[in-house]
Order: sequence, then structure tokens, then C-alpha cells
Amino acid sequence: MDNQIVDLYLKDAATKHDWQAFLESLGINNFAEREVDQIDFTIGIYQAGELVATGSVAGNVLKYIGVCNKGVTSGARFNTIVSELVNRMFAKGVYHLFVFTKLKYSESFQHIGFSELTHSDEAAFLETGSPDVHDFLADVPTVSDQAHKKVAGIVMNANPFTLGHRYLVEQAATENDLVYVFVVNTDLSLFSTAEREQLVRAGTSDLSNVIVVNGGDYMVSYATFPAYFLPSKDQAITYQTTLDARIFRDVIAPALHVTTRYLGTEPTSRTTSQYNQVLNQELPPRVAVKVVDRQVAALSDQPVITATEVRQFIKNGSLQDLKAYVPDTTAQFIQNHLVTLQTRIQKGMNIDGN
Amino acid sequence: MEIKETAVAGTLESSDIQIMISKAADGIQIDLQSDVEKQFGDQIRSVITTTLNEMGVTAAKVKAVDKGALDCVIKARAIAAVQRASQTTDQPAWEVL
Repeated sequence: MDNQIVDLYLKDAATKHDWQAFLESLGINNFAEREVDQIDFTIGIYQAGELVATGSVAGNVLKYIGVCNKGVTSGARFNTIVSELVNRMFAKGVYHLFVFTKLKYSESFQHIGFSELTHSDEAAFLETGSPDVHDFLADVPTVSDQAHKKVAGIVMNANPFTLGHRYLVEQAATENDLVYVFVVNTDLSLFSTAEREQLVRAGTSDLSNVIVVNGGDYMVSYATFPAYFLPSKDQAITYQTTLDARIFRDVIAPALHVTTRYLGTEPTSRTTSQYNQVLNQELPPRVAVKVVDRQVAALSDQPVITATEVRQFIKNGSLQDLKAYVPDTTAQFIQNHLVTLQTRIQKGMNIDGN
Repeated sequence: MEIKETAVAGTLESSDIQIMISKAADGIQIDLQSDVEKQFGDQIRSVITTTLNEMGVTAAKVKAVDKGALDCVIKARAIAAVQRASQTTDQPAWEVL
């Protein structure tokens, strides 16, 4: 089996032990269960009974790639491993892949067809395949003479679209010629991506200068910012949000001439408030950041509108309370689909996160 | 031949080339990455374009990552990618070979 690619089954304790020891010897140290659990498959190369190269895939992200170059042409094993991972994903019909890596390895990936989206001081984020970020941007609707217009962007999960979101969009719409609302693409929320997008569209349809777009893999996606969806350490959040913010600043904003990003204040979510803090550090001066205070709700004892609260109302079936929090379009949708939504919650959908 | 879906052929190993073909509105655009781009870039592009033309492909987006492949390899990988992308792997295009 020397120098052949083999599947590694991490469920097997001995295999996992070897695999982890090998990666640790190369300086990879994060083996938290929720990281390792995400892995879909792992491959490796053995030589004389020793693991000398390995790589894994989780979703559409390559992970845990480690290679020992002792005794072989530098880069040969790396190319073999990445080639095999990429080809297996292509065979499954997944043609668009990402990798997060230490900055020093960015070049190795670029050498085999990956292109760097952005990097921070320690990490780089690259993609390969199709459709890539240029295809994504080419599909975003634009208006004539956009380069000379005042354009703003908002990224929201809108799970579901509330009056708080509406207020934020309205503010941006009155202060700009054009507003892009990017809806988070990752489908891990109570309301599905299609439902969230539909409710944002319905709730902003009277604002003629608002364009609602799916944020794809590039804005708060499971690939770029897993901490938004999984409880994570502060360090991981800062690391991921820095890359997310830089993609927006360096790739998205220049292509669409976005000069201001609007944010809502986040008094209740730790992850989101940390994200906002990083956006404030990273985006200016190239993209201005405008923080809009949360609108005071109609109810005197409820100071802020949050989608988290709305999801609680759905769980308890309190449709009357909900009306003060969401636009009619969202309220109507919830009323029509209450049973479906409640079933999702009963089946274990987490509603306390984002 | 019409490109119906994204497909790929080849690997990233030495002496090979990985060719990915996807749909395009019109024309053949080639995005080539190669260490010998300076010396052989035009030759590699021309082999890919000629092969695609011979197969009757007029519109495609091609992404190629070359690791020093010879012309015959480039041609073989291009044919395989086109056949996969046009869902015609059951009817091999012998005449192109």
C-alpha cells in the first residue's frame, strides 16, 4: 500500500490517533470535536507503515491537509492529496471548493489552480472551480452608471425579516441611491434560505432602490464564517470575521461600487457584536460603516426588536405578540406556515442562535 | 456539441493537466495556469481550442491547471472533459482521436 491513496476512517480510534499525531507534528492543533465531526471523508498516503500525507473535506471546504516531504520531490504528495480531494468532490458534482490555510501555504494552493480571495496576517482564504466569485458578481443586478451612484450594502440572515431589519433597510434607502441587501445563503436557520429571501423581498418591495441578493458563499456563509452558526471561541470568531470583512472590502464592495455598509446594533448576540466590531476595524476607510440603532419597539416593556424574540413567539404560538415585531408580510407568512415552523422547532432546530 | 454541465478531467500531478469545462454564452474562453505559461501558454491554449472546435464546441468556459502535460495528454483530457460536460460519454468521439 506504499504511496497509494487510501481512505482513512476516523471512527477507528487507532487511525484517528495516528492521523491526529501526524497533523500535530506539523503544527495543526485544533481537534475540537465539533471541527472533526464536520469532516465528510479523509484520505491519506502511507509509506513503510507511517502516515506521510493526509487531507479531508467538510462540506465544500478542504480541511486538515498535512504533508511530509521527506525523501520525495517537494510538493508531489501535496499535489497528489489535493488532486484526489478535488477530483472526488468533482465526481460528486461539487465544482466549487474552498480552503482556509496559513498564509505561508497560500502560494502552494495557488500553484494548483486555487485563487486567493483574501488574506489576513495569519490566514488565507482561497477558492477553486466554478462558479467562482467573478461569476457570482456578474450575476448581481446592477443599475446604469452605478460607479457614480451612492451605493450601500447590508448583510442579513433575517430569520425572519422583522421591523428592525426593515428600519435598517429604510434608513439606508433614504440615505443612498441604491441599497444591496445580501441575504445569508447558508441554510441552517429556522426559516429556510428561500423563505428568508422571499420575506426580505416582500418586506422591501415598496422601496424602489433596494436590490435583494443571495449572499452566496461569500458573505457570512458556512464556509467563511462557521462561528456564526456554531458556538465558537472568541479567537476563532475574530479570525473568521476578519476574512469575511476583507472579502467584502476587497472583492465585493469594489465590484459593486459599495461605499457604505450598514449594520444594526447587536445588544444581545455576542458573535454578531464581535463581528460588528471587526467590521468597524477592517472596512474603513475604503468602505464606511454606518451603525443604525435598533428601533424602539411599539411595546413599552420591550426595548429592542430581535428575530430571536420572534422565534420564541413562533414556538409558543403567540401570533398576537408577534405583530408588533414584524411587517405584515412576515406575519402573514408565519400565520400560514405556523405548523411547519413549529414542527421544525420540535424536530430540534436551534432557535436561540442567529 | 453543447456543454450541458460543469465537468472536469485530469489531475494536478506532474505531467498532467486538469481541465474544467462549464457553460458559456458564446465563444471559448480559456483561463490557463501553468508554470511554463511563458514558453508554452499559446501552444496549450491552441491544443485546447483546436480539440474543442473539432468536437463542435463553440461556447465554453475552460479552466486549465497545467503541470507540464504533453500535447497528447492535453488533447485527451480536453476530449474527456467535453464528453463529460456534454453528457456524451456513452458515445466516444473516436474521429477526434
